[in-house]
Amino acid sequence: MSIVAQETAYDSSEAGPRRKGLAALLLHPAALGTLLAAAILSGLTWWFISQARGELAEDAWNRGVIIELEALADIVAGVEGGSATGGDLPAVLRALPQHDGHFKVLRLSGARLLASTDPADAGDRAAPRRLDREEKWLFDLGQELRAAVETNRAERGERRQVEVTPLGDGQVRISLPYYVDGDVAGIVQAQRPRVIAVERPSWVAAAAAAIIPWLLMAGFLAWRRSRDAWPEPTGRNWLAFVIGLVVVGGVGWALGSMFISDTRDYQAELAEALAANFTDVRERMAFVAGGQAISVAPGAENTWDVDLYQRPLGIIGPGGSIDAAALSAQAGRIEGALGEALWGNLAAAAVVLAFFSLGFASRTRGALREHRYAYFYVLPAMFGMLILVFFPFVYGIALSFTEQTVMNVSEPITEVWAGFANYVQILGDVDIVQSTAAGSVINYQNFYWTLFITICWTVSNVAVGVTLGMLLALALNTKGLRFTNLYRVLLILPWAIPNYITALIWKGMFHQQFGVINQGIQMFGGEPIAWFDGVFSAFMTGLMTNGWLSFPFMMVVILGGLQSISQDMYEAATIDGASKWQQFWQITLPSLKPTIVPAVIISVVWTFNMFNVIYLVSGGEPAGANEILITKAYKIAFEEYRYGYAAAYSVVIFLILLVYGVFQTRMTRATEATTT
Amino acid sequence: MSKKTRSGAVSHLWLHLFLVFFTIIAVYPVLWVFTVAFSGQQNLAFVDLPPDPGFLDRLRAVVPWPATISLQNFTDVVTQQPFLRWMLNSAIVSALTTILGVFLACTAAYAFSRFQFPGRKAGMMSFLVSQMFPGTLLLVPIYIIITQWLGLGNSFIGLVLVYSVTAIPFCVWMLKGYFDTIPLEIEESAIMDGASRQAIFFRIILPLAKPAVAVTALFSFMTAWNEFILAATFLEEEVKYTAPVGLKFFVGGFASQWGYFSAGSIIISIPVVLLFLYLQKYLVSGLTAGGVKG
Repeated sequence: MSIVAQETAYDSSEAGPRRKGLAALLLHPAALGTLLAAAILSGLTWWFISQARGELAEDAWNRGVIIELEALADIVAGVEGGSATGGDLPAVLRALPQHDGHFKVLRLSGARLLASTDPADAGDRAAPRRLDREEKWLFDLGQELRAAVETNRAERGERRQVEVTPLGDGQVRISLPYYVDGDVAGIVQAQRPRVIAVERPSWVAAAAAAIIPWLLMAGFLAWRRSRDAWPEPTGRNWLAFVIGLVVVGGVGWALGSMFISDTRDYQAELAEALAANFTDVRERMAFVAGGQAISVAPGAENTWDVDLYQRPLGIIGPGGSIDAAALSAQAGRIEGALGEALWGNLAAAAVVLAFFSLGFASRTRGALREHRYAYFYVLPAMFGMLILVFFPFVYGIALSFTEQTVMNVSEPITEVWAGFANYVQILGDVDIVQSTAAGSVINYQNFYWTLFITICWTVSNVAVGVTLGMLLALALNTKGLRFTNLYRVLLILPWAIPNYITALIWKGMFHQQFGVINQGIQMFGGEPIAWFDGVFSAFMTGLMTNGWLSFPFMMVVILGGLQSISQDMYEAATIDGASKWQQFWQITLPSLKPTIVPAVIISVVWTFNMFNVIYLVSGGEPAGANEILITKAYKIAFEEYRYGYAAAYSVVIFLILLVYGVFQTRMTRATEATTT
Repeated sequence: MSKKTRSGAVSHLWLHLFLVFFTIIAVYPVLWVFTVAFSGQQNLAFVDLPPDPGFLDRLRAVVPWPATISLQNFTDVVTQQPFLRWMLNSAIVSALTTILGVFLACTAAYAFSRFQFPGRKAGMMSFLVSQMFPGTLLLVPIYIIITQWLGLGNSFIGLVLVYSVTAIPFCVWMLKGYFDTIPLEIEESAIMDGASRQAIFFRIILPLAKPAVAVTALFSFMTAWNEFILAATFLEEEVKYTAPVGLKFFVGGFASQWGYFSAGSIIISIPVVLLFLYLQKYLVSGLTAGGVKG
């Protein structure tokens, strides 16, 4: 490749005079690597802390609303439970701070809206009244919360008893149940804009933490230079790596501790603000209760400041004091999680640092420069493949370990991690036959049933394709036969038509009442068949359609193979007295083997993956009994919207194809070895 | 001698019967589509059967010839249904896919064919291995990436990106094979004459590889034109449907506008069928070659 030699000529300047001065120090790979590693570490630290603070602020805001709602729930419970007389709920609602939003109180029995400060609920819609049709969601929400409470009591479950729903436009709706005689009798609800001003950690400190290690590393390099031990950029500079790691880690640790301690202060501030809020609500409620003769102040324990499972948090006491031990326990949990994340960041920074100071960066840069044209040409395609093929592949495998559905698609993967649960569910369910009251039935949703159908489907289709293709190719290859070109073009037609159109045509022809196939059966006195009602007949619709689709490919391939067999062999065989039958078995088939084997291999994969025919002709009817693996996976993903489960299903399909691929390569190698 | 020719003629008769039988089977669904399309109605049945149909009535019901010949379905499908719009959508998507796909495949194939660089073998192997990834495993992540992350759901750009990128490996391998056959001396002399890399690629290699580039372009076009699953998954609005999704719309679910479906199928299929018949020899050699490689 003399072109390559030409290529390298551009880069002979590489070995030119070494740069001196400050630039050489600051742009040395070890220094750059330190800068990059420190920037990654401090940037990620800043981002994680920032997120944690955001969550704390949001959590505190929610708790503020929950305190008000719990107080309200206590009053409503008193009024509804009959321990209070009069019960002017609208006055109670108005006594609470409104914050540009509104409160609603719903009684489940009779679906009554007991009170509301929503401006829409005025005039003839004023509470108390029965819920109307458009407000069914409110009633359903109440039912859901009641079910959650009952589940949690019966099974020590973990279902949320407080519903927090972001509504868009910054509005948030929070609902929780109130109890009469220990049972959920209804819900109280608040809706208002969530306005949070999060105090972000200092970005100046983060920027300093990124730059300081860089300068320190440059200083170290200057010292090495003065000792005449200048580290070569392409060499493995272990000492620089270790020093860099210590410096980056140390500065990163200092930054992290500073941020964490800031966050602790921030948390304490939030808690104090909440305590003030709590005291305010308690006074307002006590005042209202005074007029209503109900006791509403929380008892020995603060039962208004609760988490999403209505368990008291115990941070704010009934008197409005803050329990320092509980607060620091909460801080400790957050810091533990943050600490783990920060260790992960340090690991990422170490990898970057190693890449630079151990010379990989310089060498990569050298290769990139030397072959820049090649990379320039490959880049667009590689980039596309990375984004839309390789990354989705890895992401799909990761998804298969989660319980991602359309409902939680925006949550990060770690939040919905499920381990091997999907695989256990798919592969571990071996009860194909289920016995019910009506006798035993086959569970058509079972993976192994679908696998069985897929294997039957593949084997029968390939068998039909090869047999028909072989017969027709032999017929067309007859010497002296007329019209072969016409036959050939007409017989290829099924392959030429887009297969989704073919599939839909056959679907029409299999129509029970008007389809031509049933007309043909009736022509000979038969009964019309309900093709898609039986497992076997529905399977046959797919087989016929796909058989029709796939024989032309086999025919063309085999015809090509037949035409390349030398006629001399047949002449010699005829002279030796071999019959046509013997010639077929001894000459034709062995000579066709190199053509047929690859064609069969590829058509097995095609048929295994033949989505359109199954999906469009029978659609897997009856009751999913005729799904093949690939249509099943599609339906799980896009009709049941269980993305994680569908991904696991697809991984299983991939593994099956992989095993087939390995097996098939072994087989072909073995046959090649015997034939040559 | 005369005896031998006669036995040959007799066996040819059987062969002809056999071939005619299968030709009828192969052609029947095509005739069926034409019959429904030209019947001017949305019915599946070719004729209305009398209350107590006899053998001949039944026979008439399976003979693919419409009771009345009418172009009504063709005129209706292009005037009253959004079918022209769908065709246009398909044409836009296919054309963009072809341009992008050919560009991506040509540049990559050229680099793989002409340069020795670190990662060349790994890159080519990775393209080959990617052909083994099952479509459904990629479908869910691609759907999430395109619709949730890139916000390209229900848009042609998303479809074009997916079509052209997933076609890259096949096209690259095909084009690389062709580039390998172009003698290196041509490029060397061009370098002597002072041509730049870009000039060599655009002015020398691409014109020389015109046949292979044309075939690649046609395959890209046909893949995009015929694709159904991704389009059905990604596109939500009726005005954005491509032709395949639109055809399914006529007869899917509870709809049964078989006349529109048939007329539309014929309009869509004619160009692809002609292209296919013209290109099939390339297709067979390309596919079986790919099969041997794995």
